[in-house]
Amino acid sequence: MSPTFRIILILVSVLTAFWVARKIRKAQIKIEDTLFWLLFSLLLIFLSLFPSIAVFCSNLIGIASTVNFIFLTIIFVLMVKVFLLSIKVSQLESKLQAFAQAYAIRESVKTDSADSKPERV
Amino acid sequence: MMKILIIIPAFNEQENIERVVDKLIDCYPQYSYVVVNDGSRDDTARICQKRGYHLINLPVNLGLAGAFQAGMRYAYELGFDAAVQLDGDGQHNPEYIAAMAEAMTAQDADIVIGSRFKEKRKPKNLRMLGSNLIEAAIRLTTGTKISDPTSGMRLFSRRMLRLFANNVNYGPEPDTVSYLIRCGARVTEVQTQMNERIAGESYLNFSRSVIYMAHMFFSIVFIQFVRKKEETPCLPHSALS
Repeated sequence: MSPTFRIILILVSVLTAFWVARKIRKAQIKIEDTLFWLLFSLLLIFLSLFPSIAVFCSNLIGIASTVNFIFLTIIFVLMVKVFLLSIKVSQLESKLQAFAQAYAIRESVKTDSADSKPERV
Repeated sequence: MMKILIIIPAFNEQENIERVVDKLIDCYPQYSYVVVNDGSRDDTARICQKRGYHLINLPVNLGLAGAFQAGMRYAYELGFDAAVQLDGDGQHNPEYIAAMAEAMTAQDADIVIGSRFKEKRKPKNLRMLGSNLIEAAIRLTTGTKISDPTSGMRLFSRRMLRLFANNVNYGPEPDTVSYLIRCGARVTEVQTQMNERIAGESYLNFSRSVIYMAHMFFSIVFIQFVRKKEETPCLPHSALS
């Protein structure tokens, strides 16, 4: 791993961490949702500060270049994250659907009872 | 006389909710209450409607933070002076609310925590290890000793109601308490006794407890201090009332 690449990794991770912190500061994101990004930038900083870990791992699984191991790790972690986000979006969609239906049903029950049985209101 | 709202978040509490609310209606008519049904899949909502309880019936599950916020918003909009969380499983005893309200007035506090360990020693088990860890984290970051940070029984003043009702990242959890202390909120504790849950099952099993504790610790130590301090709690009380 070249020193330039290490410096870039560190810089990008630190910037990411600051960006996330800024969003927390402005209350634009829920704290639970920032946990991943903070840990992710920590991981990158860790790998660039101690490249021997990456070298060891890449030797272990037989990847010739350490940089490729880092890329692979990042891609894999991000893939998992995208999938988790996908799940979350699905859940949000079904919640929104349930919410809209419940709201509409309540409205309709309200107006129905007001229209058809005015004596009971 | 302080107008207090008891917020009862309930998620799948069909076995407990009647016992909890009936006790409030029969023995503590001086307090108002509201049940927040958090999109339960069981008969919680139907029981509440049948019995004519005050109910906020959320059509979807929002989680404790969302349900509690609904209660806080209700309390704020209806002009209550304070609100206290009382769990729908009956583990919190309403008899201590009077002492908590008294402490709030006497010590001019913003948050009064119903603590299991203010005067009593913590038992030594894994869950209490987590509690100690959070206690240490709060002490480290704020200098304040909270003997029972994970107690859900907290009484919040009107100033806190406004904050909880209108902002994100105000879950009823220890990290919010630590943040509010840093903002200048006064927090005090009152010794209480809590019951074991009688029916139904607790949301916090072992692995969830560990994740919860780790999350809280991380949030208190690393995240809360980046948050922008809310200015209102630093003002003297007289400026707000």
